Amino acid sequence: MECVITVELGTNAVRIFAFDLNGNVVASAKGSYPTFHVQPDHSEQDPEQIFITMLYVLKNLITEKLQPQKYAVQSICFIASMHSLLTIDKQGAPIGNAITWADNRGKREAQELKDSDLGKALYHATGTPLHPMSPLVKIAWLKNNDKERFTQASKFLSIKSYILQQLTGEYVIDFSLASATGLLNIHTVQWEADALAFAGIRPAQLPELMSVFGVPGKLRKEYQKLLGLRANTKVMVGSSDGCMATLGAGAWREDKATVTIEDSGAVRVVGRQVLHDDRQRFFNYLLAEDYYISGGPTNNGGVVFEWFAKQFGDFSAPFDTEQIMENLIHEAAHVRPGSDGLLFLPYLLGERAPIWNANARGSYFGLNIKHERQHFIRATIEGILYEVYSIGKILQEHRTIKSLSVNGSFATIPFCAQLMADIFNKPVNMVTNSNSASRGAFLLSAIDMGLYPNFEEAAGSTAYRETLQPREHDHATYGQYFQVFERLSVKLKEEFEVIAELQRVRR
Amino acid sequence: MNQFFLHHGVSKELEAFGHIHEMGIRKNTSIQLNSLCPTTTDDIRIYYILDGKFEWFINGRDHILFPGDLAVILPGQPFAGSRGFVDIGTLCWICIGVKQVDSRKMVLGDWSGLSESDSITISKVLHLNNIAVLSKVKEAFGILQAIKDELCQQEIGYGTRVNHLIDDLLIFIARQSSHQTNLRRDFPETFTKLEEALRQNLSHQWTVEEMAALIGLGTTAFSEKVKNYTGFSPLNYLINIRISEAIKLLKKQEINVTEIALETGFYSSQHFSTTFKKLTGYTPVEFRKKK
Repeated sequence: MECVITVELGTNAVRIFAFDLNGNVVASAKGSYPTFHVQPDHSEQDPEQIFITMLYVLKNLITEKLQPQKYAVQSICFIASMHSLLTIDKQGAPIGNAITWADNRGKREAQELKDSDLGKALYHATGTPLHPMSPLVKIAWLKNNDKERFTQASKFLSIKSYILQQLTGEYVIDFSLASATGLLNIHTVQWEADALAFAGIRPAQLPELMSVFGVPGKLRKEYQKLLGLRANTKVMVGSSDGCMATLGAGAWREDKATVTIEDSGAVRVVGRQVLHDDRQRFFNYLLAEDYYISGGPTNNGGVVFEWFAKQFGDFSAPFDTEQIMENLIHEAAHVRPGSDGLLFLPYLLGERAPIWNANARGSYFGLNIKHERQHFIRATIEGILYEVYSIGKILQEHRTIKSLSVNGSFATIPFCAQLMADIFNKPVNMVTNSNSASRGAFLLSAIDMGLYPNFEEAAGSTAYRETLQPREHDHATYGQYFQVFERLSVKLKEEFEVIAELQRVRR
Repeated sequence: MNQFFLHHGVSKELEAFGHIHEMGIRKNTSIQLNSLCPTTTDDIRIYYILDGKFEWFINGRDHILFPGDLAVILPGQPFAGSRGFVDIGTLCWICIGVKQVDSRKMVLGDWSGLSESDSITISKVLHLNNIAVLSKVKEAFGILQAIKDELCQQEIGYGTRVNHLIDDLLIFIARQSSHQTNLRRDFPETFTKLEEALRQNLSHQWTVEEMAALIGLGTTAFSEKVKNYTGFSPLNYLINIRISEAIKLLKKQEINVTEIALETGFYSSQHFSTTFKKLTGYTPVEFRKKK
């Protein structure tokens, strides 16, 4: 029997799936690796540990689960988190750790660039918001603040590029991941000269560009042997987790949007055209040559609810956060929609779309003497989802969205998914396979193998386990509270600045 | 409880207990300047607050202690009253001598019934958690009272009982310190701390018991949580870290394979080569030549 492997290099862990050619998951495994925060605003990962963890999990999956079932691996497709940056020296050895998407050290560089004419031009050319997450900004930060590392660097890679080089010997990056670096012109699909000039690097210092179906090269002999794979096992460069989550959720039509909420979240739409926005609120990433994934990211998804659970949950057994969260959701369901007027701004980690304000902070608003503990629980969940809706709302200035597909651990909690149906006033499709990004990578492989003729049909194969219908009456309630939410997040701008500054100096 | 003061070399009660340097309860009713100037000692000092409010500077950090709180000062750690004197209030203390101290390792002495590995784990937990103050630990005072009663009443078997109670006290403090550090809520955060400890001391032959103790869980619960969170058993996760660090060192050409093996916690270069090959498909020497 034949199968396809997908490797997802995520923020905290590598997740590996094996699919049969009908798209059923036949085996899966994960392995986590740490994130280091050696200084505030810094967020780094060890590329060697990511590699060794990936290899170890892959080897175990193949030898313990696939070989006993007599599966032959056709191909391995790689997807990864966006925006990571790794510098390597002339010998190909990493200089320091990889810098992740969550790293904020380039705040100043990002702000200066965003306000400049060059910044505006670069945003439109590259589709990547000018934010510390962007590798463009990270490289500029290295140039200004870590001269030694910058001058020693022979190449500037993404984590995935490094992993693929280890496996095959070639330095490559797919269009999709490249389009999230701030360095790729998404219209010409070439490295953008002005961006490279700003970063102070040459095209030869970047990996080779290829389509998401591209093949960097053969698996090195040693790894063929170690993993028990045939020499002709195809290694596919693949795409980014964000783009694949959209494909895997089956939202491949202009009237559909995908909502992903894990720790952080995003609302995305697919189209043949980019979304123009002079206020630079959206990303426009390239999937294939003529497809764009556009939308907005939020920092404050499930991570905020987890924060709440840790602080205010009732811990009887140690470290049982999942059970605690389940209990909280149960309690929240006993409060009326709108939490009787208690509102929550979820900006604990600053915010990206739509307000793009790193200094934004969280707040409960509208408290009165009748509010109880359970109101806080519900308000917290509603606040996280109002923020997601505020991204969806500006997307609707460009697209007519008729339905949503949701994925990610937080968004697929039935209570949260129903709330989104009500807040958005749209039907919400719950996908059967909870890991949409990996399913997307499978579909990519399947298109490559000729099992589907194109993206539309591949996406169309996604099954929904349930469609939740919006409840009109609740929508009206949420709509009224949302207006206050939206005004507050703008009105508090000055106070956000002051309080963020105080938190900085008084730390 | 009434005030008392036992001092080794003076008090007859302590004659048979060379390792108990001091024990007492004292009610301090007036402030005497310079009564608690900066010192470092070579014994373990345990203070339990019965009344009042004490402001102390322990091992580089300021602490405010209230009744029910307990302070532990380890050998070599600087200790002083924040304002140089003993504050007004009542406290109970005991000072326990140790046989040998080096960085992160205390050897208690023959009187203790703790196994060698328990004793190492306890000293590791206390040093790594670096938690000088435990709050609301009434149970600790119960143990202190029992030690005092045994010392004064000297019934049959009291010598054994006193030493058992001191072991009890140390175990209690180590457990509380783990629970308190980790708050038992945030596994990822707690795990990150463990990971740091592993990296800082990678050449040490870590056991699952030691790792679990640092987090304040039993070994079964610990292994299950780690497996759930990381996808690996604790020892396999540790191998990931060892191999990742070894890869980094291999890529720097200046250090030889045997040194790398020992530095990253393998028993020998043979053990290193076998494990490395099993995981990466290359021997360390082949890996070094690979581009």
